[in-house]
Amino acid sequence: MGGIALIDCRQEAAVILTRLDPLFTKQWHCRYRIDVVNNQYGAEFNFFLDIRRKDHRERSIPLHTVKTTDLETLERVISAVQEGTQLTLNFIDFGQVRWPLSQRWIR
Amino acid sequence: MDYTSEPHGMFLMIDNKSFYASVESVERGLNPLESVLVVMSEADNTGSGLVLAASPMAKREFGISNVSRQYEVPDDPRILVVPPRMNLYIQKNLAINRIFRRFVADADLFPYSIDESILDMTKSWRLFGSTPEEVARRIQLTVRHELGLYTTVGIGENPVQAKLALDLQAKHDKELIGRLTYESFADEIWPITDLEKVWSIGHRTAAHLNRLGIHSMEDLAHVDPYELRHEMGLIGTQLFALSWGIDRTKLREVRPPKEKSWSNSQVLPRDYKVQREIELVIREIGQQVTSRMRHHQQQAGSISLFIGFAWDGQADDGRGGMHHTHRIAPTDNARTIIAELLRLFRQYWEGQPVRNIGVGLARLSVSGSLQLDIFQDPERQLKNDRFDRVIDDLRDRFGKTAVVPASSLMRGGTMISRAALVGGHNGGNSFD
Repeated sequence: MGGIALIDCRQEAAVILTRLDPLFTKQWHCRYRIDVVNNQYGAEFNFFLDIRRKDHRERSIPLHTVKTTDLETLERVISAVQEGTQLTLNFIDFGQVRWPLSQRWIR
Repeated sequence: MDYTSEPHGMFLMIDNKSFYASVESVERGLNPLESVLVVMSEADNTGSGLVLAASPMAKREFGISNVSRQYEVPDDPRILVVPPRMNLYIQKNLAINRIFRRFVADADLFPYSIDESILDMTKSWRLFGSTPEEVARRIQLTVRHELGLYTTVGIGENPVQAKLALDLQAKHDKELIGRLTYESFADEIWPITDLEKVWSIGHRTAAHLNRLGIHSMEDLAHVDPYELRHEMGLIGTQLFALSWGIDRTKLREVRPPKEKSWSNSQVLPRDYKVQREIELVIREIGQQVTSRMRHHQQQAGSISLFIGFAWDGQADDGRGGMHHTHRIAPTDNARTIIAELLRLFRQYWEGQPVRNIGVGLARLSVSGSLQLDIFQDPERQLKNDRFDRVIDDLRDRFGKTAVVPASSLMRGGTMISRAALVGGHNGGNSFD
């Protein structure tokens, strides 16, 4: 748990939001979604913007990687991200787990 | 055939199944063998986009190959397209090689490309299993558990057998393992009639062999090696050895070629027609190559310039480009080299639109002294030399774009936009 203090959650969220901004172009017939992946192999959480335009190829663009396995840190980053965007968040490979702070299910 | 005097070792040739696509799948929590994922470069010089890698399913279901263009990839919502992150792949490659080092001594590991490595396990394999297949399986599982990636393994008694076992057997095997030995080599390899499938035989060599009446590996193994050598040169002998699975390479003793050279080239984002813009890019590349060379304390005695014309700009005689080499007094000074490059360009260019530019420096020698030119002010020459070195130091410490010539900001310059690329493709997000 030693490295947690080094991660500035606001800063991490700011990086994600800055990269998101030019990519989220609000097209018609297009679904935008932020994928949050629990990457067991890298001990990190990956953020991607998933763009799916009707009848076209799906695209997935890397936004950022938060280098921690601590869910509390991730929860803080996520809530900071949600202050800046209302896009749907899609959690991948988290299993049946609750957020440590809000005690809600991760989904 | 008596193989007793041939080297009998245990070599593994390991490659990653669709490496870039697999890394991207794992990063997204997808199984690399099940995802339909395509890594597509949309750098501004690849036209509409170039497929760098496709996952095994994308290859099978949609017939996408690694060199497809964007317009060849069907616009189907089942396909997931992602941008390349070259720096990430380099990191993963290093991680994989760190795993290999647990199985062999550092001196017995030979990275072959970004996703292939040769392991000389002659001395260490018995520590990890009772058969070579068992060892290969163990390495596969370690990589799979720690990085999520699937690897393909070719096993051989020498490097060439391992390579052929990888290309011809392992890639089609359920367990992703293939094995060749001196004993099984003839049975497994001789029936092959599509010679181009065999490593080191390309399209032209295959055609040449066909003309000689050689249509299978068995034919190749039964020609007179002296006649083959007479017909094809040294390569003939090498091919003959290949057909018998013989490889006497001692990997530890592989030496780099003596005559080295430095070169850089790039494809321009559009056709350049204005002389000033073309010269700007020649300057930038010249600067870059010279700086690479200076890092190795070398100077060049020969420069060459390659200019590739745009499709519709081919010269009247049908040439697609031009290539000129010129000898110069040995120097590592960027100004001098660039001045020579521009002189070459102006001498031969006849106004064709340009799409490719390359610069090469050869006839290298050790620099360390500065040969003064008696026709120029010596103070000025020393100052120019020091100037180059300061620029190098600045770039080493603060990055390639720490100092750029103001001219690179003008229309046509590519230096700044290319600084973040790795091997010509997107390196990925910085600060990650």
